[in-house]
Amino acid sequence: MRAAALLLAVLAWPAQAAWTWSEPLTVNSVQSATIFPHLESANRRGIAVSGDTVGVVWEDNRDGSPQCYLATKPGSDEKFRPEVRLSQSDCYEPAVMALGKGRFVAAWEESGKVRAQVLPGGAAINLSNDEAAQVTLAFGAGKLYAAWAEQAGRFRRIVVARLETGPDAPGVSFAQPVEDRVPADEQGWPALAVAGDGSVTVAWEDRRDRHSVPMVSHSLDGREFAPPVRLTDLKGGNTLGLGAGTGAMRPTLTAWGGQGIAAAWLDKRDFLSGYDVYAALDEGTRRFGRNLQVQDSFGDNMAQWHAQIVGDASGRLAALWDDARDGTPDVWLADWNGEGFGDNIAVPAASGPGAQSDPLATLDAAGSLHVVWLDRDEQAGTRIRYARAEWK
Amino acid sequence: MKLIKVLLAASCFWVTAALADPPPGYPFVSFDAGLKAARASGKPIFLYFGRYGCAWCDHTNKKTFSDPSLKTLYSDNYELVYVDAESGRRLTLPSGERITEAELGVRLQAFATPLFVYLTPQGDKIVQIPGFKTVQDFRDYDRYVRGGYYKQKTLLEFLGGKP
Repeated sequence: MRAAALLLAVLAWPAQAAWTWSEPLTVNSVQSATIFPHLESANRRGIAVSGDTVGVVWEDNRDGSPQCYLATKPGSDEKFRPEVRLSQSDCYEPAVMALGKGRFVAAWEESGKVRAQVLPGGAAINLSNDEAAQVTLAFGAGKLYAAWAEQAGRFRRIVVARLETGPDAPGVSFAQPVEDRVPADEQGWPALAVAGDGSVTVAWEDRRDRHSVPMVSHSLDGREFAPPVRLTDLKGGNTLGLGAGTGAMRPTLTAWGGQGIAAAWLDKRDFLSGYDVYAALDEGTRRFGRNLQVQDSFGDNMAQWHAQIVGDASGRLAALWDDARDGTPDVWLADWNGEGFGDNIAVPAASGPGAQSDPLATLDAAGSLHVVWLDRDEQAGTRIRYARAEWK
Repeated sequence: MKLIKVLLAASCFWVTAALADPPPGYPFVSFDAGLKAARASGKPIFLYFGRYGCAWCDHTNKKTFSDPSLKTLYSDNYELVYVDAESGRRLTLPSGERITEAELGVRLQAFATPLFVYLTPQGDKIVQIPGFKTVQDFRDYDRYVRGGYYKQKTLLEFLGGKP
């Protein structure tokens, strides 16, 4: 009787929508034990979908020095096309943004400057005049922006630029620091997002308070930025006269819903369990609300790494990261359910035996989720893997 | 004017002292420089994985690394490397892979700072130890590493057998 009641209860349970995943594909065409691909970039902007074409950028050392590459997969193709090299000399932390109709703009650090190129077919230009690194891109309301960390005296500070995208090369419409004053300590790893109303939000890792804190600032026109405030709602300060505060790093931003912006970052406020993933939402007021812990209690006593948040205009919002709660690094995903982040779901092809880490993700115009990650194998070499998910 | 300069200098010293950087007076260098020096000298590497603003790093610097005899012991017998847990500075692993200092924390599965890692002159990990440690702790770890006991025993076995 009890079993029958349980069966009835299960059958009566409404069908839950969930991500349905494609078979994974390998993105990088060359792998070996001595080639090390990296998916690192400011705001983790290493994948974009332009029309129905997926573009992925990364850095690896196959040519004997770190170089940046772009691989694309048109929707009609079953696999990624052979990658093209973007750089001529040492290249780091590339980012990519979709321009529509299969066009992309990529940006990266090369020879101490940040550069950008429209693809396919465009020419690369320098975005920065001074020494700079950690470039990222954002597109929204018909406008393209870049941000990077640029040397200003002893430290770097954050610069935001508006870019024009001509047929052959991007052009810098204007570029200026978020704050005019010379930085008092290091700033880096900027994240950018353009909200539905065209306003620009920039967040970055900042050490002015003598520990690493994500700071955030908004601009209505991408030119004049409000005085920055802390993204974390945890106050800094020393502990019994020691140190300066807990650390929080690598902020990421995404446009979300009609007017909103969402942020996620790695936060060490619980200093005994490594970095946790924290998030905050700005629903259009240009003020971020209280900080929310993203990972669930099963990942609580575990260090999380490589966090990113992705959203779309329909209001879908998800955070991804990797942690080793099941013994080896796996890629995890948590969806925003309107009140909080839901149960943590292991991305099927990016979990299980072996090490799967460093996720990058984007949502396309139809709401499909595109994810790439590193699948490490010390003997065979590291593969960059890709899978697409639909919400069904 | 002179008084203002003195006050400015004093405030700079205070700010520096409040940070959790390497302990003052020790010859800490970057990862790449330390690995290169260790390969040349044959000395093991003592890697201090710290975080900017970290209270326990600050505590360890003030309570432990302020000891003059410990400073001599470690400065003379190790290549001292400092890595910033949140930095984007680049380093090259013995495998040839180029990563950031923050990414080294991922590879070490670091969950707390400070984290102390002892490496062979070739850069292979001997043992890693998290959290605040005393002068005597660091003397014990030194005996374990430079005495070669790590080749036969875990650190816990070695410490358990300590007279």
